[in-house]
Amino acid sequence: MTDNNQQPAATKEKRSPGFWVLAWRRFRRRKLSMLALAVVMCLSAIAVFSPMIAGTKPVVCKYKGNIYFPCLAYFNADWENPIFHKDRFRKRYPENLRKKDPESWAIWPIVFQDPFRPVRDGEWQDQDAAGQWVDRPGNPYHGGLPSELNLFGTYKRGVDVFASMVHGTRIALLVGFVSTGIAAFIGITLGAIAGYMGGAIDMVISRIIELVMCIPGIVLILALIAFIDKANIWIMMAILGLTSWTGMARLTRAEFLKLKQSEFVAAAQSIGAGPLRIMFRHILPNALAPVMVPIVFGIAAAIKVEAGLSLLGFGAPPPNPSWGTVLNAGTSNYTEWWQIVFPGIAIFITILAYNLIGEGVQEATDPRLADPKD
Amino acid sequence: MAGYLIRRILLGWLTLLLITMVVFALVRFMPGSPLDTDPAMMNPDKMPSAEDLERIKKAYGLDKPVHEAYWDWLKGLAIGDLGISFNEKKPVADVIGSRVWATLLLTVPSLVIAYLLAIPIGLWSTVRSGKLDERIAGVSLYMLYAIPSFIAALFLQLLFAVKLSDTAWELPLMGMHHSDYAEMGLIDQTWDLLQHMLLPVICFTYVSLAYYSRFIKANMEEVIRQDYIRTARAKGLGQMRIILHHAFRNTLIPFVTLLGLSLPSLLGGAIILEQVFNWPGMGQLYFRSIGTRDYPVIMGLTLSLSVLTLLGQLFADILYAFVDPRITYK
Repeated sequence: MTDNNQQPAATKEKRSPGFWVLAWRRFRRRKLSMLALAVVMCLSAIAVFSPMIAGTKPVVCKYKGNIYFPCLAYFNADWENPIFHKDRFRKRYPENLRKKDPESWAIWPIVFQDPFRPVRDGEWQDQDAAGQWVDRPGNPYHGGLPSELNLFGTYKRGVDVFASMVHGTRIALLVGFVSTGIAAFIGITLGAIAGYMGGAIDMVISRIIELVMCIPGIVLILALIAFIDKANIWIMMAILGLTSWTGMARLTRAEFLKLKQSEFVAAAQSIGAGPLRIMFRHILPNALAPVMVPIVFGIAAAIKVEAGLSLLGFGAPPPNPSWGTVLNAGTSNYTEWWQIVFPGIAIFITILAYNLIGEGVQEATDPRLADPKD
Repeated sequence: MAGYLIRRILLGWLTLLLITMVVFALVRFMPGSPLDTDPAMMNPDKMPSAEDLERIKKAYGLDKPVHEAYWDWLKGLAIGDLGISFNEKKPVADVIGSRVWATLLLTVPSLVIAYLLAIPIGLWSTVRSGKLDERIAGVSLYMLYAIPSFIAALFLQLLFAVKLSDTAWELPLMGMHHSDYAEMGLIDQTWDLLQHMLLPVICFTYVSLAYYSRFIKANMEEVIRQDYIRTARAKGLGQMRIILHHAFRNTLIPFVTLLGLSLPSLLGGAIILEQVFNWPGMGQLYFRSIGTRDYPVIMGLTLSLSVLTLLGQLFADILYAFVDPRITYK
C-alpha cells in the first residue's frame, strides 16, 4: 500500500539540449547525409593540403641551414621565400637544391606536377632498375593521355590535369563558401530589416529584392564582370554573392514577419530593448533554421555557376586553375576526352554531396518532423 | 481579388521601370564601348579624325548623357521602337525576332516534355513508394538533378558526336543546321533539324524533369496522409481513382505556381547551353551583345526577359487564385 503522506519524488524535467543539438542528432541519423558530409570534408582536406598532394615545390626543405616551406607559395605568391629568388632557383627546386647546397634535403609532394605550367624533361629524376638516376620525361607525356605520370592527362600544351584539379578544389570550395557567405550576409540583413521594420522600409526593400530577382542572373554577372578590368578571383566571388542573395532575403523577411508577433519580442520591447538588439539578438537565432537550407543549396549553385562561367571563359582568370577552365580547354578539342570527363565527374560529385547535405539539413530542421524521442 | 490584381500589375510596372533604369545605367557605365569592336574603327591605317569620331558617336547615340539617352529610349519604347542594333544595323525587334524562334524551338518542347513526363513519374513514384524499383528511380532522378546541364551537354556531345561518329547513332556536335540545309528537301530538313535538336532538348529537359517529378512526389506524399484519402480508401475506392481524382488535384496549387514561374526560362534559361551547342538563339545573342556593347539589343533582350519574369509571377498568382477554391469562394 502506498503511503499517501509521502511526497512523490519530484520529477526533474530534463533540460532541453537546444534546437541545433537536436537538429544535429536528427541529421546524424541519415546515413546518406553523413556520407555526403564526409565527402565534403574530404574535398576540404584535399583543398587545404593541395600543395602537399600535387606540386613542384617541396613541402618542407632544409636549405643552407634553414628550414623553409616553399609549397605555401601555392596559396599566395608573396609567400615564396626571397632566398629562392636570390639564388636564382627560377622555381625549379629539385636540381637547384641539389646543386646549390649538397646538405639540403626536402620532402616532396605526393605527385610531382604543377597546376600552372608543364613540367619539363629532367626536372625530376627517378631511379631506374640499375640504381642510376634517370631524367623523368616532361609534359606532355604519352601524347597528353592519362598515364602514370599524368594521372588525368594534360591540357593546354602540357599542364597536368590532376594537379590543376587538386588545386582547383581550393578555388571551387572557396568560391562556394565565400560567395554564399556574402549572399547570406546581404540577404539575411536586408530580410531582417524589411521584416521587422515593416511599412515604407519594407516596401522599398521588397522592391529592391524583386528588382534583383527579375534581372536574369547570368546577365547581371556578365555585366558586373565587364566592370572590373583586373580580373580577380575574390571580386568574382563578391559578384556571385551579390547576385544570389534574393531567395534568402525573402525567406528571412517571412520569418521575421512571423516572429515579430511573438511574446518574447513583446517582452524585449517592454523592457526597452532597441530594434537592432531585438532583431539580431532575439529574433535572428530563431529565424535562422529555414535559411540554412538555401545556404547549403546556394553553395552548390555557386560552384555550378563558377564552373559554367569558367567554361564560357569568364570565370577564374588565368593562371588560377579551376575545374571549369579545364572544361573550357576540353571544348576546343573533343578528342581529348579526359579534359571533360574528370572535371565533370568532380563537379557532379561535389554538387551531389551538397544537395544531399542540404536535404539532410532540411529534414533535420523541419519542425513538423520533430521526433518525440529527442 | 480584382483590387489585388490591379495593385500587383501597377507594382509590376514600377518594378519594370526600375529594372530598365538599373540595367540601362549598368550597361552604359560598363567600360569599353561599341566603338571598340566596330570594324570601321579597328583599321589601323585609317584612324578616324576627331569630327568623324563625333559623327560616329552621334550615330550611336553615345554623345548624350545617360539620363537623356534613357529618356530617348523610353520614348522610343512608347511607340514600339526598340532602336537599331549597333552590330547588325537592323531594328532590334527584327534581330531579336529572328532569334526567338530558335530558342523557343528548344525550350518549348523541353518544357512540354518535362511536364508531361513528370506527372506520370511523380504519380507512379507515389504509388510504388518504398519499393525497390521506385527507390532506384528516385536515386537516379536525384543524381540526374545534381548534374549541371552544361556538364551533361559536354558528356553527351563527347558520346554521340565524337565516340559514336561514323555510326548509326551519331548526332551532330553543334549548330542548328547542316551545311547543306538549304538544298535539302522538306523531310530531310525536318530530320536534320530533329537531329540537331535532340541533344540540346535533352539537356534542357532532364533537370526540370527530375525536379518536377520529385516535387510532385513530395506533395503527393503529404496529401496521401490526409484523412479524406483514408475515407476514400475505407469506402473501397480503387487506387487509380483515389490518386487521379482525389489526391492529385490537391497538389495542383503548388504545381501550377511552378508553371507560371517557369515562364521566363522559356527565353532566358539558355545562355550557357546555347554557347556549348553553338545554337543561334537568344542566349547566344545576349552573350554576343554584351561582349560588343550593343546597347539597344541588350536593353531589348533584358526588357523582354524582365517582362516575361514579371508576367510569369503574375500568371502564377492568378493561376493560384484560380486553382485554390478558398480564394474564389470568398
